[in-house]
Amino acid sequence: MSNLSFTEIFPVAELTMAQRGIEALKVILTGFVVVFAVLFFLILIIKIYSAIIVKLQDAAFNKKKKKLKDNGEALIKKPSKPVSTPAPVVQDGIPEEVIAVISAAVASMYDSPQKARIKSVKRSASGRSAWANAGIADNTRPF
Amino acid sequence: MEILNGFVEAIQGIFQSSGLVSLNWQNYIMIGVSIVLLYLAIKKQYEPLLLLPIAFGMLLVNLYPEIMAAPSTELLTAQQCAEHGVATAGHAVRIIDGIEYYENPTYGGLLYYLYQGVKLGIYPPLIFLGIGCMTDFGPLIANPKSLILGAAAQIGIFVTFTGAITLGFTPAESGAIGIIGGADGPTAIYVTTKLAPHLLGSIAIAAYSYMALVPIIQPPIMKALTTKKERAVVMEQLRPVSKLEKIMFPVIVVILIAILLPDAAPLVGMLMLGNLFKESGVVERISKTAQNELMNIITIFLGTTVGATASGQNFLRLETIEIIALGLVAFAMGTAFGVLFGKLMYKFSGGKVNPLIGSAGVSAVPMAARVSQRVGQQENPGNFLLMHAMGPNVAGVIGSAVAAGVLLNVVG
Repeated sequence: MSNLSFTEIFPVAELTMAQRGIEALKVILTGFVVVFAVLFFLILIIKIYSAIIVKLQDAAFNKKKKKLKDNGEALIKKPSKPVSTPAPVVQDGIPEEVIAVISAAVASMYDSPQKARIKSVKRSASGRSAWANAGIADNTRPF
Repeated sequence: MEILNGFVEAIQGIFQSSGLVSLNWQNYIMIGVSIVLLYLAIKKQYEPLLLLPIAFGMLLVNLYPEIMAAPSTELLTAQQCAEHGVATAGHAVRIIDGIEYYENPTYGGLLYYLYQGVKLGIYPPLIFLGIGCMTDFGPLIANPKSLILGAAAQIGIFVTFTGAITLGFTPAESGAIGIIGGADGPTAIYVTTKLAPHLLGSIAIAAYSYMALVPIIQPPIMKALTTKKERAVVMEQLRPVSKLEKIMFPVIVVILIAILLPDAAPLVGMLMLGNLFKESGVVERISKTAQNELMNIITIFLGTTVGATASGQNFLRLETIEIIALGLVAFAMGTAFGVLFGKLMYKFSGGKVNPLIGSAGVSAVPMAARVSQRVGQQENPGNFLLMHAMGPNVAGVIGSAVAAGVLLNVVG
């Protein structure tokens, strides 16, 4: 086949209404079939790979579960006794909600929240706001 | 007296080169149109991110057409060079009929150079890169059947192709007009630059105008094609999608589509690259740049230069009105076919699928999905269709890129 385009083979001015109709039907049919075929194929692929991943993840989870059982560990841990840790020293004027947010933020930075313990909370003496500090940290972080 | 004559000549020269002499009635009408579009963008906030630069580009080119002028070479004799103060050194010499002419290059207008990114098909894929960074394909992966709705909404493109070719447009022009039905600006621009660049202004403006009008165009069609009972269907919650699935999705899609339909590879490839930036989580800085700074810069260039293609001489023609009318048909048909396929899914699923999510199959992310949500809530205020509609919505982006690949292949 040559690389001539449609309009080079059939100059538009020479197209009769019937030829235009045929061309339109050809495009509709091709478009309809190809778009649906590609997207149906995509559905199939997504379903297959999703099923494989879900299965693999389930298998990994079951394996871990079995390992824990074999080691004699209870699958569902009994609620541990509350650890008595001294309450942090909080500067006057800092609301409880702020302490809760700070505690949650600190805990989220560690894999195990038990590693972190807040001893005291006091207002920063820095003249720069927390947002400014965060901005500086974000822009000066090394590559 | 000599001073006065010089002054009068200078004023005459300025007047002759001013817009008061060089602009024609078509330019003045387009200046009016651009001001209306600016009003819609600023006051009504219709897609302002694109409509504002498009309208301003339109205003600029109609005030000063040379801003889009292509560079050229003028031939000057040695005497003319001397008169105009043009240096002859370093200029190529051409001899015509025994007379020596110096080739004096003139530079193009600012927007001409920025427009090369549109003309060469560079900007639309870069916009897709940013869109990919902002798109969550999770709802689509959780419910892959929504890809059918994304495909169904593309039927409007091919039906409009028939209307355009019947009205006397060439097959290539008809393909570019039909793609308006995909409701995807970058795809429409990409296809038009390849198939019918002379129609770019009309098609881009029609596409973005209809995208802005999604909340007005779609609801009547959705309501007309569905029953109250269908619109009130509450869909089951989607399953959570793992990170691994989300990472694999862009890689699988790009391999599949680039192999099956290479013409769609630039658009789909960049969309999926952007999505991989986002989902991999290891290139956060690049992802942020692609979806913010890069996308904003490209949007400025794309919008302004596309608007600048709508000069009075190019835009004020009967075919522009035909394109705008056909674009509306394309948009309405895309919405209708999406809803009708939604109804089919409703029947086959035993009433578990709300057909309203089908209208989101036209791309227009995320506006079309929001419209599904809003129309659904009008029937049942406790119904949340947004996440279900996001599946067909992002499927529509892939679907319109595939449809673009088909058109480029068949009529390109």
